[in-house]
Amino acid sequence: MQHKIATLALGVAVALAATGAHAGNSDPNDVRIGAYLLHFDSSGGDITGPYTVPGLNTSIESTTTLYLAYVRQLSRHFQLELAMGWPPVTYAKAVGPAFVGSVPYNGKQIASIRWFSPTALLEYNFLSPRSQWRPFVGIGVNYTSFFSRQITAAGAAVSGGPTSISLPSSVGPAATAGVLYRLSTRWHVVASYSVAEVNSRLTTDTAGVHRSSEIHFWPNAVVLSVGYSF
Amino acid sequence: MSQKNGRLIWAILAACALAGCGHDSPTAPISASRQRGALAVDPPLRVASLSASAFATQLNATATGAQLLQLAGTPACGVDFYYLKYWTVDPAGSPTEVSGALMVPTGSSSQCSGPRPIVLYAHGTATASTYNIADITDSSNAAYSESAMIAAVFAAHGYIVVAPNYEGYDISNLGYHPYLDAAVNADDMEDALTAADTALPHTFTPDTTGDGKLFITGYSEGGYVAMATVKAMQAAGETVTASAPSSGPYAIEGLGDLIFFGQVDIGSTVFAPLITTSYQNAYQNVYNQPSDVYSSAYAGGIDTLLPTPVSLTTLFSTGKLPESALFDTATPTSSTGVTQIDAAADALLAKPASPPYSAAEAALFDAGFGAPYLINNTYRVQYVDDAVENPDEAAMTVIHGGTLDSSDIALATAPAIGLREDFKLNDMRNGGWAPEEPMLMCGADQDPTVFFEIDTGTMAAEWSTQVQEGLVSVLDLDATPSGPYAPLQQGFQSAYDALVSAEGASTAIQSFHSTEAPFCMVAARDFFAQVP
Repeated sequence: MQHKIATLALGVAVALAATGAHAGNSDPNDVRIGAYLLHFDSSGGDITGPYTVPGLNTSIESTTTLYLAYVRQLSRHFQLELAMGWPPVTYAKAVGPAFVGSVPYNGKQIASIRWFSPTALLEYNFLSPRSQWRPFVGIGVNYTSFFSRQITAAGAAVSGGPTSISLPSSVGPAATAGVLYRLSTRWHVVASYSVAEVNSRLTTDTAGVHRSSEIHFWPNAVVLSVGYSF
Repeated sequence: MSQKNGRLIWAILAACALAGCGHDSPTAPISASRQRGALAVDPPLRVASLSASAFATQLNATATGAQLLQLAGTPACGVDFYYLKYWTVDPAGSPTEVSGALMVPTGSSSQCSGPRPIVLYAHGTATASTYNIADITDSSNAAYSESAMIAAVFAAHGYIVVAPNYEGYDISNLGYHPYLDAAVNADDMEDALTAADTALPHTFTPDTTGDGKLFITGYSEGGYVAMATVKAMQAAGETVTASAPSSGPYAIEGLGDLIFFGQVDIGSTVFAPLITTSYQNAYQNVYNQPSDVYSSAYAGGIDTLLPTPVSLTTLFSTGKLPESALFDTATPTSSTGVTQIDAAADALLAKPASPPYSAAEAALFDAGFGAPYLINNTYRVQYVDDAVENPDEAAMTVIHGGTLDSSDIALATAPAIGLREDFKLNDMRNGGWAPEEPMLMCGADQDPTVFFEIDTGTMAAEWSTQVQEGLVSVLDLDATPSGPYAPLQQGFQSAYDALVSAEGASTAIQSFHSTEAPFCMVAARDFFAQVP
């Protein structure tokens, strides 16, 4: 974690150090809005704890949400992007046996979670700032905080009752690649592909019985957005 | 970044965060009450939910499960297993948290839902401190077979089952088990029932609740606990529809005397530390230090040995307990100086031999003598001397081959050593009571672990009037099959014969007591079913 925070600090420092380089750019700010098409490649250990049969796992369902970003031009080729999705409702889906006892399991939505997940990216733009097509790549840091963690009826049935969910926040690396197409001096559209690493530990509490699973997932998103420079 | 732009970004972030400020789902609340019977977590955890067919499949996966299923019958209902945590009181009267099982029948038929009768079940002697009768998910847990048995016999046939784990087990932090402590055991049973009544409307099947009928049963130690619970509830003016205590050490003073007279039962080296620890904690009168009772080979740590997280096999192999040698092979003699007492005591201290005992009996009792041995000779002599001077008449009747009747089963008038005082206090003859509602006492005459004659026979003699009236019934699984329970008698005898054929008599006898259990429980179910 400390390494990741150091990476974040380094990124911010690089960004701030570079802010002086935008002198002369008449439109250094850029806001973007679009669609975040999120897909999760997840892996995790089986859920363990009392009264838990082996082989219970979860995956996270893909979702689409609103993409919002602020981009600051730092120089002819570098820019800093602060991006996030409107906190999406994401469903955890059961992976494992068809039934736990006689309670349906595999494929059931067992929990819904919302998450606040801003990403800071330092990006390098190829070609000239005035080019109509402008590819870019970037690396950065993702911070993810989970909230509105709700067990579903199916999840409560398999857990054995009302259940609270704990998922600590995560800080992890992020990367992006994309292309900007300029529509006019100020308007443009952007298509990009981003990926981040999120690590957390899922812990549930059902009537005082705690079960847990290490969660690792890599939200990867196709972003289609429209931007305005000013 | 201009100040204006900065405000825009933070406004977006704040809006997003606020938009998502939904609530996290809560878990079940923890009760602040420590009153007796307070449900500590409400609703309780559902450990497992098994449909009738899934439960049958699970049982059929093992040979013993399949035998149980054949005896108990095809499940008519599914079973939801809940883990109850509730508050009761320890022997000092302080609140203490304990756990148990609530098994709720499920299914759409009227036999499996809506108002249903409750069976309050007391489990048998357990040495594993992790004993948890709610845990049907783990076949390696010490309580699994008993949990499966009561679920198969009762819950899968429409009875709501409530079964405490007892103080000293699972989450209990008491540090010992109040073994055969009638008042404490009965309190625990009643408190489990109260907690279950609270929990039932909050389960996944809230419409399935008690219909007003309460049946109490239990096996072995649980037979004793069941009877103690009937006694306590009856004294408190609470109605018990019917009861079926089975193979329990009801006449504990008489049984204790017989064991000290050399009729050593299978399991005695485990029962001894459980009972002395229980009574020492409750009454502080068993010993000044454990070496007053126990031999030097085992006295160290014996007072905290059971229940234990390690297996009995390990306790035996590491020299913590002898496997069967309760007493010294070289039997001691009495030296009170009173010739009559010494002569009587010496006869009782001698190792039982054939004759007058049968060869099988002599062999059974002989296993209770060895070296190293558990109970020291000085204490054994003190005990037997007291039993001669202050006799338990039932024990004396049995040891001399007499027939028990109401005239020769009195408790000792004034036992002079602590353990016998405690036995008397907790003996089910104490208090001059008799069941007011139907009771079936099931057992087997040849039971080598909890002797049938001194326990069930003594209580039947104590309640001879109720037996004659038909209020109290006795079922001896070893008797010639006859009457409504003939199929169960035949079934038990066949099952044990098969065990002897498969394992040999000397090995099979170790499993005699446990083999009885499901037959007695099915008898209890049949008995309850015919109570109006």
